[in-house]
Amino acid sequence: MEIKTKEYRVWREEATIHYEGTMRLSGTEAYAPILELMDDVLKSKPETIVLDVTELEFLNSSGINLLAKFTIEVRNRPDVGMAVRGSTRIPWQSKSLPNLKKLYPAVELTIN
Amino acid sequence: MTMVDNAIAQPPAVGRFSRRSFRAKFILVVGAAVLFDLILGGGIAIWNVQRLSHNATQQVGEGLTEASEEYLRTYINTTAERADLLLDQVHSEVESLANSMQGLIDNPDLRQGLGTTIEANSQLRDDLVYDAAGNWAQNTGGASVISVWSYLLGPDKKPLPEVDALVRQSAAFNLFAPGLLATGAPKLQMYYVGPKDRPIMRTTPYSQQAQTFDKLYPGHNNMNFWDFFFPGVYEGWQNWIKNPSSRNVTSYITTTAPYIDAITGKLIVSFFHPLWTKDRSDVAGMTAADITLDQLAGVVQSVNIARTGFGFLAMSNGNVIATSKAGEEILGLKSSDVGGQGVTGINRSLRTSSQPAIASLQLPQDQGTTIKHIFLNRDGEDVPYLVVLKQLRPANLWDGKSIVQETMSLGFVVSEREIYHALIAAQDNISKATSRIVDYQLLAVLVSLIIVLLAVFAISGRITAGLSALTDAARRLQNKDYSVRVKVQTRDEIAEVGHAFNRMAEEISFHTENLEKLVDERTRELEDANEEITTLNERLRSENVRLGAELDIARHIQMMVLPKANELNDIQQIEIAGYMAPADEVGGDYYDVLHESGRVKVGIGDVTGHGLESGVLMLMVQSVARALQEKGSDDPKMFLEVLNRAIYKNIERTNSDKHLTLAFLDYHDQNVTLSGQHEDVLVIRRDGAMERIDTGDLGFPVGLESDISAFVATRNLPFASGDIIILHTDGVTEAESPSGELFGFDRLCASAHDYRSGGADEIVRGIIADLMAHIGTQKIHDDITLVVMRHR
Repeated sequence: MEIKTKEYRVWREEATIHYEGTMRLSGTEAYAPILELMDDVLKSKPETIVLDVTELEFLNSSGINLLAKFTIEVRNRPDVGMAVRGSTRIPWQSKSLPNLKKLYPAVELTIN
Repeated sequence: MTMVDNAIAQPPAVGRFSRRSFRAKFILVVGAAVLFDLILGGGIAIWNVQRLSHNATQQVGEGLTEASEEYLRTYINTTAERADLLLDQVHSEVESLANSMQGLIDNPDLRQGLGTTIEANSQLRDDLVYDAAGNWAQNTGGASVISVWSYLLGPDKKPLPEVDALVRQSAAFNLFAPGLLATGAPKLQMYYVGPKDRPIMRTTPYSQQAQTFDKLYPGHNNMNFWDFFFPGVYEGWQNWIKNPSSRNVTSYITTTAPYIDAITGKLIVSFFHPLWTKDRSDVAGMTAADITLDQLAGVVQSVNIARTGFGFLAMSNGNVIATSKAGEEILGLKSSDVGGQGVTGINRSLRTSSQPAIASLQLPQDQGTTIKHIFLNRDGEDVPYLVVLKQLRPANLWDGKSIVQETMSLGFVVSEREIYHALIAAQDNISKATSRIVDYQLLAVLVSLIIVLLAVFAISGRITAGLSALTDAARRLQNKDYSVRVKVQTRDEIAEVGHAFNRMAEEISFHTENLEKLVDERTRELEDANEEITTLNERLRSENVRLGAELDIARHIQMMVLPKANELNDIQQIEIAGYMAPADEVGGDYYDVLHESGRVKVGIGDVTGHGLESGVLMLMVQSVARALQEKGSDDPKMFLEVLNRAIYKNIERTNSDKHLTLAFLDYHDQNVTLSGQHEDVLVIRRDGAMERIDTGDLGFPVGLESDISAFVATRNLPFASGDIIILHTDGVTEAESPSGELFGFDRLCASAHDYRSGGADEIVRGIIADLMAHIGTQKIHDDITLVVMRHR
């Protein structure tokens, strides 16, 4: 499963969701397809859902809101673990990703 | 649906009998096929007829030519036989006489007895009378005349004894000769001449023989008879005895060339037969017969070929001894008498002919029959003639000097035009017959063609009637006469087309009648659809208007709640300047300055999303913050926690999925307390040193969780005179240049550092100018908010 535009690409490999490019979608409705993809992974009840944003250069506040909401959802499912992989190279990640761990301390956050 | 232009749809009308009509094509095709057949058949027939005619002509020609030549051959052979037969008859009669006389010579006793008997018979006895004038002795009458020449008379004018004996002995002549003369071939006279030493001449019938001789041949009485009249003949015969091989011809008969008879004056030929002594050692006279050439000429002249064909008889030297008057003229002959010693001959030679082809004509050298094609000049025109030549049997000829072998040639001359007249006529008939057949054939072809074309014309009418009816019907249909139907009378393919046409016409008729109804229905449907679309469009437009209005309201709210300049100017210790520029699609930036009795609270935040909802959320945040400020809440941590709860509950109630980052700065007495999570805070000290304060650990996004107390913290910063604090939203640092490069925190620091010596307003203007220069033509994605605090 893959969502691809000129600016960004989101695809799934087993329980790992990869994000790539620049995501500057205008609001919750615009992000709905991506959330659906993420929910599908969640519904498959993997041991750990991995969000890999190491190649996601930019994510606007609506996008960050999406990640936060999804983290809260995962938090409500104790049988599913969650890991987030980010990169220090990209400014927004160091600033916003720690919030996810604050929302759900069980999140394995890796920012290299 | 559009109507097709009538002028284009109308095909050029095809007349029933025009060149393009089906019927014309049909007639043309069938007619051409029939014509081809007829011409082929007729042509072959005509060719065959011509060929047959040619062959027939050739065969008839060959046949007729062959027949004509065969006829001529047969004719000339027959004629030659006749001539030979005539000569043979004369020969045999002369031979008979000779044999009789020879018998007497060979039997002296019989001769003696016979002589004595005749002497006794006054009837048979010759009483010779001397003629003093002629100096000869001759009998005066009887069966024959016997002349005794002067040199055979004694002094007494009576024959010498041995002569007288011969006269008596030869009297037996009277027994045979008159009978022979009277019978058989017409003969002029028959005679006997004694041997050279006693050449008495006895001739029957009786005539004034000596007298005539005297008249015609003067001097003959003074010379030996043989030598005078026939020099060389006697010697020739004597030579035959001495040298038998010198005789080339079986017969002893010796012929003279034609000459004029002294007695009758007619052109005659004499046939001599020698007599021999008993011991055959010498010649003993001769018997002879004269015939007029009339008889031979009769044979030749009786030749009648075609209209003007004739015969001729020629000696080997070319002398023509017999032919018709017309023949003499056609052959171009000139007659001349040949005088001289002895009998008078004639000369009428081919060699002297005025016709070159005749003058050079080769007479045959053998017994075969030759046919020659020559041209004779007739009245200035070269006319083709056929010459047929055939030799007669060879004979001995006295030529006036000696005896030679002579072969006469019989010749036929006939105009080819005449002889082939039948052939030409036959060929003419064949040619005429051929022309007639060809004419009939051509006429037959023509008549057949006309009949077939008439039939085709009639049939084509019936065949194409269906098509014509269809064509008419189609034209009427084209002229919008939809009631037209074709009468189908046959059961062929055209009938099928007719049925199909009728069905189509019916359908067209039906559809045409129902078309208006259909158009009405469709129009109504279209109107309904149009109405629906208009309604939708209306709704869309109003939605658009609504959305536009909502956006306007959001912007309005954003601006409406910003602190006013006079409020900011009231603050004693701190100079504050703010800048906010909403993007086209706004998020919802927030900043506020709350001032109450020496305490200044500056808030900055950024609501996710855009539109009215974001604007309202911001308004809520402002209201709650104002309320809490009014309540006199000194604890920044508590302030934020309560505000979060209030907002969280409102968000939950409004079922919104938004949240915001929010940070507050509480200033009091040269000190700033920083709380809440937002963008990094930039501090520029009086000496130009810069500090970057991360707020990540000082709070949590507002409205996301009901309780954020665990995450909220505070940080104290000294803020003395000359120090500058710069707050911003991500619209500043994340503004993109045309090449996609972010403005970034470092550029913000550098820009702020550049303008740090100015007032808060100037610093704001400087940084914004740099920021706008960076953005250039690039789209502004997010609201840009910048707040500069400067301690006086």
